[in-house]
Amino acid sequence: MAVERITCIGCPLGCQVTLETNDREEVVKISGHRCKQGRRYVLEEHRNPVRVFTSTVLTEGSSQPLLPVRTNRPIPKTRLKEAAKALARARAKPPIKAGQAIMTDLLDTGADVIATSDLLT
Amino acid sequence: MKLSDVDVAVIGSGPAGMAAAIKAREEGAESVVILERQEQLGGLLHQCIHNGFGLFYFGEDLTGPEYARRFAEKVQDLGIRVLLETMVTRISPERQITAFSRHEGYLSFRPKSIVLAMGCRERSRGQLNIPGTRPAGIFTAGTAQRLVNVEGFLPGGKVVILGSGDVGLIMARRLTLEGAEVKAVVEILPYVGGLIRNEVQCLHDFQIPLLLEHTVTRIHGERRVEGVTIARVGKDKRPIPGTEQEVECDTLLLSVGLIPENELSRLAGVELDPLTGGPLVDEWRETNIPGIFAGGNVVHVHDLVDNVSWEAEIAGAGAARFAQRGRLEKKAKIILKTGRNIRYIVPQSISRETGVTLYLRVREMEEKVRLKVGDIFSQALRVVKPSEMLKVELSPAQLARLDEDAREILVECERRS
Repeated sequence: MAVERITCIGCPLGCQVTLETNDREEVVKISGHRCKQGRRYVLEEHRNPVRVFTSTVLTEGSSQPLLPVRTNRPIPKTRLKEAAKALARARAKPPIKAGQAIMTDLLDTGADVIATSDLLT
Repeated sequence: MKLSDVDVAVIGSGPAGMAAAIKAREEGAESVVILERQEQLGGLLHQCIHNGFGLFYFGEDLTGPEYARRFAEKVQDLGIRVLLETMVTRISPERQITAFSRHEGYLSFRPKSIVLAMGCRERSRGQLNIPGTRPAGIFTAGTAQRLVNVEGFLPGGKVVILGSGDVGLIMARRLTLEGAEVKAVVEILPYVGGLIRNEVQCLHDFQIPLLLEHTVTRIHGERRVEGVTIARVGKDKRPIPGTEQEVECDTLLLSVGLIPENELSRLAGVELDPLTGGPLVDEWRETNIPGIFAGGNVVHVHDLVDNVSWEAEIAGAGAARFAQRGRLEKKAKIILKTGRNIRYIVPQSISRETGVTLYLRVREMEEKVRLKVGDIFSQALRVVKPSEMLKVELSPAQLARLDEDAREILVECERRS
């Protein structure tokens, strides 16, 4: 029997929702939410919490020190710090267009790391 | 370069300036010019490398640079003239613009209309009067954001953040991901200043301690910050003696408020609203000076960039109309008055000419309330917070229900039982 507390971000109420799971890790009780959407959100957040990872990459051969990047889809929330470390060694060399992948399949998540702006010079 | 016959001049090219210029052009203004002091379009969007932009405007979850790019491409497609590295130093009450441009030199011209879109700046330590020494290592959150996201510097290794506004929360996460230790976010009020989404995704996700009803009472360190004293505050927001704790750190970030940037507005004689820090505007976002419009954070500080762009479009449309007609015909002005638990309302005055969207903020967090606009609008809300701006759409039909000679409407937040 485990208890997890999740804050719903669906609306400004920010309900503090409590989920109880049994020994087979099935959710047996959800309480504290005030709407259906909230219930759906916390279930998803409990089952598979993911986040879009955004960061910057050092450049090489450019007058701009950094290139802003993002993952093109969310990755598991637990791997964000690892993702930041994985990008530390990367270097972006111009020319790069916004949307271009500078790294594919980050940490085997299936997500690519793409540039969010151009790096032309 | 020829700067005569400009229909609409837009000051600033962030999410407000670009949106206003595009709308002005779409509404028929032929010659639209954007004056931007930086080297590229986009304003602060370039340093906002995180996502959460455009969820409503585009229906997509974009980063700041991606949001900027959408608008910048449209600016180019529409043939809007852009003057980069151009600083406007003065606007006269007769709309004469004085500017200094790296490429074009000294500029002086008089457009048919102007849109002010200069955005806002951050409140600093000096304005807070935090006692203690003046070591290096104290930054406003936005400055730190620029250093980390554009210049490539980490401002420090052990960080305390004063203020839980969105910029502070975003930086708490960013610094943590870049290897710094964020020891605490300190907030004087009993609730977080920024969006819940940010509280969860920046603080909870990284287990960063949040100290509500606390403040920094002293900064220590000679050449560099060595620590801060944090104390609990009472309901009167004053530190409670005996509750002090010392926190070791080398960096203090300040995220304690944004102030609309209206130096140019003041010089032009534009009247400001002390409640917002921005110009008094009507439903066209026209200021008290005919032909000078304003939109975005320069009018009042928004939470969502989508609303910044939408509001600036109103100003852009107004400016285009003014340029075409020489003036905006308006019916009698109706002043919006702030009633119970309402901190401010924008626009501050309306006429009955068109439907209008009111943007407003409450003074204090409250649950189970009813938002009322005179007798013509009423909405039950579960919770209202100062950090989440409210929008009220008033249709022409609703406005028509006002008395012929009404000169004021009261907007208030009632308690429901």
